[in-house]
Amino acid sequence: MKTSVWYIKKFFTVLVLVAFTLTPLSSTLSAAVAEDSKIFTPYFDMTLMEAAFMPSAGNIFSGGNINTQVGLLTKITKKDSLFGLYNFNYSGPAFQPQDSKQFTDRDMSHGFNFEYRRNLNERFRVRPGLSLMTDYSRTGANEAWKNGLYNMNSVGGQLAVDYSFDFEKNGFITATIITRKIKFPNYTDLLREFQTAGNTSETSGGLQDQSLTQFSLRPNWNGFFGGFTYTLQNYKNQEVVDNSGVYGGSKQKDTNVALDAGFRQTLWIFELSPMVSYTMHRSNQNFVRYKFLGATSANLALGNSDVTFVDKNYDYNEMTLSVPMDLNITGKWAIGGSMNITRRTYTARGARDTDNNYTSSKQKNLMSTLTGSIRKRMNDVATMRLFYSLMVASSNNKFEKYMPYNYTGNTVGVAYQLSY
Amino acid sequence: MKRLILTSAVFLCLNGLSFAAVDWESKGMQMVGEIVANPSAFFYDFQQDLEATTPLPPGKSFGIQTGLFPTTIPMTYLNMSGKYRLHAEGRLAPGVPQVDLIGGYWDMLAAKMATKDSKTIDSAKFGGYYMGAIVSSSVSPKIRTFWGYKHSVLAAKLKFKPGEEVDLMGTKVGSFDSGFKDDFLMAGIETPKGINKFWSMQLNYGLKTQTFSTKLSWYGKVFELGINIYPEGVLVFHPVWNMHLNF
Repeated sequence: MKTSVWYIKKFFTVLVLVAFTLTPLSSTLSAAVAEDSKIFTPYFDMTLMEAAFMPSAGNIFSGGNINTQVGLLTKITKKDSLFGLYNFNYSGPAFQPQDSKQFTDRDMSHGFNFEYRRNLNERFRVRPGLSLMTDYSRTGANEAWKNGLYNMNSVGGQLAVDYSFDFEKNGFITATIITRKIKFPNYTDLLREFQTAGNTSETSGGLQDQSLTQFSLRPNWNGFFGGFTYTLQNYKNQEVVDNSGVYGGSKQKDTNVALDAGFRQTLWIFELSPMVSYTMHRSNQNFVRYKFLGATSANLALGNSDVTFVDKNYDYNEMTLSVPMDLNITGKWAIGGSMNITRRTYTARGARDTDNNYTSSKQKNLMSTLTGSIRKRMNDVATMRLFYSLMVASSNNKFEKYMPYNYTGNTVGVAYQLSY
Repeated sequence: MKRLILTSAVFLCLNGLSFAAVDWESKGMQMVGEIVANPSAFFYDFQQDLEATTPLPPGKSFGIQTGLFPTTIPMTYLNMSGKYRLHAEGRLAPGVPQVDLIGGYWDMLAAKMATKDSKTIDSAKFGGYYMGAIVSSSVSPKIRTFWGYKHSVLAAKLKFKPGEEVDLMGTKVGSFDSGFKDDFLMAGIETPKGINKFWSMQLNYGLKTQTFSTKLSWYGKVFELGINIYPEGVLVFHPVWNMHLNF
């Protein structure tokens, strides 16, 4: 019964952690624009957000986000340079999309990226690199950071090639391939340990350990950008559960195909940065839902039996739309508005009723957020933003014993950013 | 006026929305539980409020600082901090950064008074110190980045007399003896806001305990105002008021 939550958590944890792994890379690219004739060019970006969250069900809680990036670009010769970047990220308690994390979950990561840049000619540049990351996770139980079930270490490399096609309008295309070896040293299958108390074999056994390969192609031109990203996750030990309800011989394999597009433009007093993305996630992993510990069933195909087998449980298509806008009313002050929509449709997983029975309709989740804000530009490098958000989460999944699917939430917070 | 209108508009928007009732008693119990579970972490957050972890302004060779709020008032942390410049930026050679030594000490007055006069408290000791160094370097005429290390130590001991244990939300607490010790790395950025006025933002990270905090500070010749944020602390926001003199 509880395995559903664990599977969902571990899957999304991986996705979030991978996102953290990739975050510094895009920053690296943006920092590259600042290259000039100096030998050393420092890079510093610090953002801080703290907010109060008021859900329609449950008590008020506070949470925040801290992201600090410090880097140094060293120009060795006219054609060669080195870039080192350290990234600290903390994500505190917050409202989360359905089927992802608990509100009280927190993550903290340290990422190191080293990149060698070589200009082959006026238009081509290659950037081989190395990435190291440690991520700590913590639940509402307040365990020590080092004991987090989903703590993760990753190491890997990258090879990126930039091709500039329009110097005047900053037009370039970047092709990147990255690889990662990801390990979850604390992860254990709690249900297996509980069910086989006398089991002396290793149940933790690196079930989450995996290798990740990602290829992306990203064009940019005059503030417009887009991208295609393909990600493959090969699990080292995690086996696929088959329709008899036991683990078979094949290992879990997940793929992600994502397309995104957007732009950043300033029109008169309007600053616009809309973005849309579409993701197709596929996994060969299936799922067995137990209604209670020790539940048995003669027919695993029935949605209302105590034990139900769900083929392709984790396959989904997701669309996100984000439309942030700032209206500069003076040189210092701006009023902001933002609309964010995340819509996920599972291709095979049925929605559940309040009694944990699968229905015939496929599960659909929708999360919409409307934000109003006031931004003050403190000087050339610093901004402060006071914001309020109304979030509405809805789903045709009505089984909410462990995770909320249908709720509204109010958020009031303040955010600072200092970037150089 | 414009500021007032904008702020009012935001709060009027909020007014029409329905909020869940906030269970303050439950929230209070949760906070007391967190303090009892790890008292030194709670008291250390206040020590960080008084720690002088920004570099000396350019041209100054030493400085003193004392925390006023929330350290001296209401926590009765009597405290004094100092900074000493070892090297001015660019003095030895162009590009060589400024190096400051920092340090400070505090003692909780309420703990001393409680031990002396109380019929319930047998002994109490709350105090701490820190020391370290900050390296700062100008990366543009308007930006200075700084990097630092500090070693922080705190002692928090309290013992009630037999039969005088305190009932905290149903839990009998007879004594606690906890300490805090860690080595921190700091990274920050400073930018001027006017003549002799600065704005800074920094991250402090404890290597052993993985305690971390961010400090937002606005400071001039005499006073420093700040918001210190402890995301994993009991009190997440600490408004801070410190006084300093630099020579």
